[in-house]
Amino acid sequence: MKIFKIFIILLLITNFSELKSEEKNDILKNKILKNIRCLICQGQSVYDSESEFASSIKLIVDRKINEGLKEEYIYEFLREKYGDWIVYDPQLNKNTYILWLLPLLLFLLGGAIMRKKIKI
Amino acid sequence: MFANQIGYYSLILGLLFSFLLCTIAIQDFNKVNKKLNENIIILTFLQLTFVIVSFFSLILSFINSDFSNETVFNNSHTTKPLFYKISGTWGNHEGSLLLWLLVLTLFIFLFLLKSNSQPKKYRILTLLFQQIIIIGFFLFVLTTSNPFNYLFPIPKEGLGLNPILQDPALAIHPPILYLGYVGASIIFSASLAAVAQNYISQEWAQHIKKWVLISWIFLSLGIMLGSIWAYYELGWGGFWFWDPVENVSLMPWLSLTALLHCIAVLERRATLTSWVVVLSITTFTLSMCGTFLVRSGLLNSVHTFANDPARGIFILIFLFVLIILSLGVFFIFHKDNNVNQNNFFWLSRETSILINNWFMMYFLSVVLIGTVYPIFLDVISSEKISVGPPFYHKLIAPFLIPFLLFMALGPRLKWIKSKIEKKYSIIIIFIISIILTFFIIKNLTTNILFYTLLLSAAFFLFFTTLKEFLTKKLNNSSQTIAHFGFSLLILSILFNGILSSEVITNMKIGEKFKFGKGEIFFKKIEERRESNFNSIIAFFEIKDLEGNVVELEPEIRVYNQPLMVTSEADIKTTLLEDKFIVMNLVKGNEYFNVRYQSKPFMVWIWISVFLLGLGGTIGLFKTRT
Repeated sequence: MKIFKIFIILLLITNFSELKSEEKNDILKNKILKNIRCLICQGQSVYDSESEFASSIKLIVDRKINEGLKEEYIYEFLREKYGDWIVYDPQLNKNTYILWLLPLLLFLLGGAIMRKKIKI
Repeated sequence: MFANQIGYYSLILGLLFSFLLCTIAIQDFNKVNKKLNENIIILTFLQLTFVIVSFFSLILSFINSDFSNETVFNNSHTTKPLFYKISGTWGNHEGSLLLWLLVLTLFIFLFLLKSNSQPKKYRILTLLFQQIIIIGFFLFVLTTSNPFNYLFPIPKEGLGLNPILQDPALAIHPPILYLGYVGASIIFSASLAAVAQNYISQEWAQHIKKWVLISWIFLSLGIMLGSIWAYYELGWGGFWFWDPVENVSLMPWLSLTALLHCIAVLERRATLTSWVVVLSITTFTLSMCGTFLVRSGLLNSVHTFANDPARGIFILIFLFVLIILSLGVFFIFHKDNNVNQNNFFWLSRETSILINNWFMMYFLSVVLIGTVYPIFLDVISSEKISVGPPFYHKLIAPFLIPFLLFMALGPRLKWIKSKIEKKYSIIIIFIISIILTFFIIKNLTTNILFYTLLLSAAFFLFFTTLKEFLTKKLNNSSQTIAHFGFSLLILSILFNGILSSEVITNMKIGEKFKFGKGEIFFKKIEERRESNFNSIIAFFEIKDLEGNVVELEPEIRVYNQPLMVTSEADIKTTLLEDKFIVMNLVKGNEYFNVRYQSKPFMVWIWISVFLLGLGGTIGLFKTRT
């Protein structure tokens, strides 16, 4: 009887996790699609678009996920093929140091200015 | 046709009145009389009347589908329902500029009417600065964007309004938004006038605060209306995409929010004068920058009506004129006359407001840099990058954690100097927030540490403000309600983001589709004809695991003028979640692409923005003793 119980629990767990991995793939896929620009649309992500371009990118992403590729590699693949323009998440490189670091520098600067106003 | 001419000549008369007003105002400025010349108020009223006449004649042309008017021809069609004929008036570049003028002239009239107790010279200078803006916009409208251009031969039919703009929320979105966005102009003019008169003082703070609040309330509601529209009309179930055009409306909001808090310090302690002026100038400059970015065609979106370089250059030059003017006034006239009380004690209300401003400016810089940097990079190195949601989430979300904590603690501090008190209630609330968050987050496979911190901070603000309601210590109800609304906003956005789920599948009529949380049944389709579109309505039944059934009816519309296919989502809203369904045609077969989403706490996002607005409104009507 005990073994039967364990068997059922095991079955449930494996079943459950199997469903989870499929769901996970879907969630991952949608997440990636939302972060890719539809190059022929006006300010839409691939996820939001029904254009032919978007459909073909959806297929590519689907295939890459099924091949087991990680999220970053899929972006990398798309960048190589279509350029940086396609991914909404800009990489940190010589083109984007200012973009990423200037706000943080301004935050520090603001903090320093504010510090002068405050006495402890 | 007649309306066209009335509209056009009213505009010219309005412009002439600007010059007349300036002359009389300058004369009156040098006179010794204490009171403002009554004629000035009458003249501003007449100027406003001319703009209203012009605006109504454009509306009339739209209602009558008078295609001898180029603007009407480009943006309307005889088959459109009356409501959208009217809203089409401001759904285009020329008409929306008339709306700009309307708000500019309305605000200066109301300002003069409501500022009787203020010094005469200050009122006159405010009028003059506002007239500079008004003249600029009159010239802009008349030279580059005349809404009353005449077409001959008269076309039989118009080109129609973009179908996705034919929507009730979007019909009222521009007027509401503009009351805030353009209303910021009066803060700009008044602060420059106050600088020139060395009148940045506690009395001034009390008087200008109302105008800041009015702009802020309308801007908040206007942004929300745009967001609601994006949610159900763009068909992807999101409500904020960090699209450049959305950012452009968020930037003045952030700086206005900073100003709103900063004004309170000026009101109580007569300090931070320079900073208040800088924020007032910044807010309207950001409004103008936004207009430039959107109307010059540098950004692509539904808000880009027509790409005419002349317009972009005009706004750019005008923008520079305003910036140079305001910097000039600021550096020549501004005296920082509060040297003696320059420092704040570290544990005080003032310091907490400074911290608010510090974070607000950081959020503003993130949004500003994220929006304009790609344009600069493209110009300088012709390399194209996209800056989208991941960028903003990474740079903003972590900073929200301390921001929320400060937001909860700040209002509890006293002005000038606070003592550290052992408030057990705060510690208990803090612990409850963390435990509650932990139990919620535990079962979710997300970034646990980060979400635990962010959610706890949001819950902490939520409970501290809630406690203030319950203990009836409502000495500052507008602040408490607004902060409570903000905590609710963050909480609902977070839960919405974490718990939303979706199913995307292809289905044909009669088919059932099972998924993790239930079953979708595609019952049937029906066709329907309206004057301006034909539609296919689909009938879906969504059954959840408990067997509850919800019926949803999304549409595919084929608009006739211009010819365009749109998907209309159907949404069932309850307090706990929105059920959202939208479908698309799949080319060449009988299948429909169906997207079903369940979006928990969606309605609370809108409710919390209303609470923010409610807090502001209470602040507006409350007179402090």
